[in-house]
Amino acid sequence: MDPTPADTGGLAPRSMGVKVGILLAVTFMIAIAFIGYVLYARGAFETFQRLTLVADNVEGVTVGMDLTYAGFPIGRVRRLSLGKDGKARIHIRVPESEVRWLRTSTVFVMDVPLVGGAKLRAFTGNLQDPPLPDRAQRAILRGDANAEIPLMLATVRQALENVENMTARNSSLQQSIDNAKAVTGRMAGKYGVLGGVLGNEDNARKVIASIDRANALLANLGGVSLKLDAVVAKTDLRLYGASGIADETQKAVAQANTMLSEVRDRLNAVDVILADAQAVGASAKTAAANVAGASADLGALRGEVEASLRKVASLIEEINRKWPFERDAKIKLP
Amino acid sequence: MATAADFLLRPRSWQRLFRVAAYATVAALAPSSYGPAARELAVRQVYLSAWKVLPGYLAFTALLSVVLIQIADGALRAYGLAPYSLELVLRVLVLELVPLLTVFFVAFRSGTAVAAEIAVMRVTGELDDTAESGSDELRGELVPRVAAIALSVFALTTLGGMLALAITYWSYFHTSRAGFFVFTRVVGTVFDDLVLVGLALKFVLFGAAVALIPIASGLEAERDRMKSVPAVVLAGLMKLVLAILLIEVVVLMVKYV
Repeated sequence: MDPTPADTGGLAPRSMGVKVGILLAVTFMIAIAFIGYVLYARGAFETFQRLTLVADNVEGVTVGMDLTYAGFPIGRVRRLSLGKDGKARIHIRVPESEVRWLRTSTVFVMDVPLVGGAKLRAFTGNLQDPPLPDRAQRAILRGDANAEIPLMLATVRQALENVENMTARNSSLQQSIDNAKAVTGRMAGKYGVLGGVLGNEDNARKVIASIDRANALLANLGGVSLKLDAVVAKTDLRLYGASGIADETQKAVAQANTMLSEVRDRLNAVDVILADAQAVGASAKTAAANVAGASADLGALRGEVEASLRKVASLIEEINRKWPFERDAKIKLP
Repeated sequence: MATAADFLLRPRSWQRLFRVAAYATVAALAPSSYGPAARELAVRQVYLSAWKVLPGYLAFTALLSVVLIQIADGALRAYGLAPYSLELVLRVLVLELVPLLTVFFVAFRSGTAVAAEIAVMRVTGELDDTAESGSDELRGELVPRVAAIALSVFALTTLGGMLALAITYWSYFHTSRAGFFVFTRVVGTVFDDLVLVGLALKFVLFGAAVALIPIASGLEAERDRMKSVPAVVLAGLMKLVLAILLIEVVVLMVKYV
């Protein structure tokens, strides 16, 4: 059947052939380039090192999953298998270019979150350690959030039961709250916190009356202390003032000192006379003519001694009179 | 008079389809089928099925890609699943929606036209009853069309898929070259062995379905009865849609179940 003009848009077969040729050529070129790109993306042009991770449970791990280091994919799960020892094995292919991140000290962790697939992570503490050999077999640690849930639920249930007991109608917490309510109700009354603490309004009223009385007492005490101040001031004046007791006593003591020194002088004179008298007594028999003159001297001396003693006695009396605290008016002779 | 539904459910009609398919496959593999006349017919068919629809097809693919990427990425981000967004877009858009879109484009534009053309030839007696048993007319008319439509499907799917891939890259990384390694890694994850086999299988089956079903339906038109033409064209289209959806489901099951 010949092409109608409407079918071909009036184009000559040659230009149509060129367009179709271009279209098919471009299509095949793109298809081949895409296949090359996919092969490159799948690592067909790269050499790999194999790594086997051993786990108790590989639930959540799928073929094609990444092994990451610091968040960057460095390898891919190629196969999962169950070994004869009952442990699951994750076979991973790591491109040669990424092998440098894996060392003999590298730790592998499988993280199973609540939502989403598991994640395989590698942690290398020291990048200076010797590199991981090809076909190495390592254990993988599993951090499973799902496994924690039953345990957590049991704990939460117990905690909820405790809360329920605490909030029940007859629980001690409820009673405490009732008591607190009663106390705060009293606190809201006429006597405020005092009423709340003391139980009822009567007690509170008594306490307040006591405080009032104490205030009045304190005011009286203020007056008394003022009077006491005046008394003290007067005493001070009497004792230590210009012609007070202390002053007079000082004068009397000075006078007494003077008298005592006079008495000492007289006594010294008596000593001398007595010595003379001794000498005289020894030669009394021989010097009877001198007796009349000596006894006349003794009479005069005795009169002086007596006069001195009288002065002392009067002085001590005067002191006793001026010193009000010495009641017992005893006189001690020296 | 037979209606479209009768053609669709008639076992003889499906038998004829498989007979034509088997014959066309053999003939397409024989070098003697490709004479100058056959080549010209094939070129014209590719021009009509692929070249003329290319601008509209690519524009629609681009629009669909942009909209779907925005929806998928936005929804996954809202659920905190952003790392899976690129993979999901590649799987849904490039692997499934673009081939399906292409095959419907070609089916509605070329399939119906070819079915009507063959049906009219049958009614006017240009193709006689012996056609389906392998006459020269059938070889001259059918084989170039089958090959051309299969090629058109392949060309449009490839170009549309590449455009969707480019738009995906642009949506995620714009013109930055930094995204290349991330993108390449996801492409390497998505296009594994099974997916590549499934994609190739889908290309072949879609191409065969779009090329063969309208032609085989057209051959069911009855001689000198012009009124049978719409019925067989419609039945061919219905069979085609059914076949495409079945192929899609089967390939999805092979890949993911």
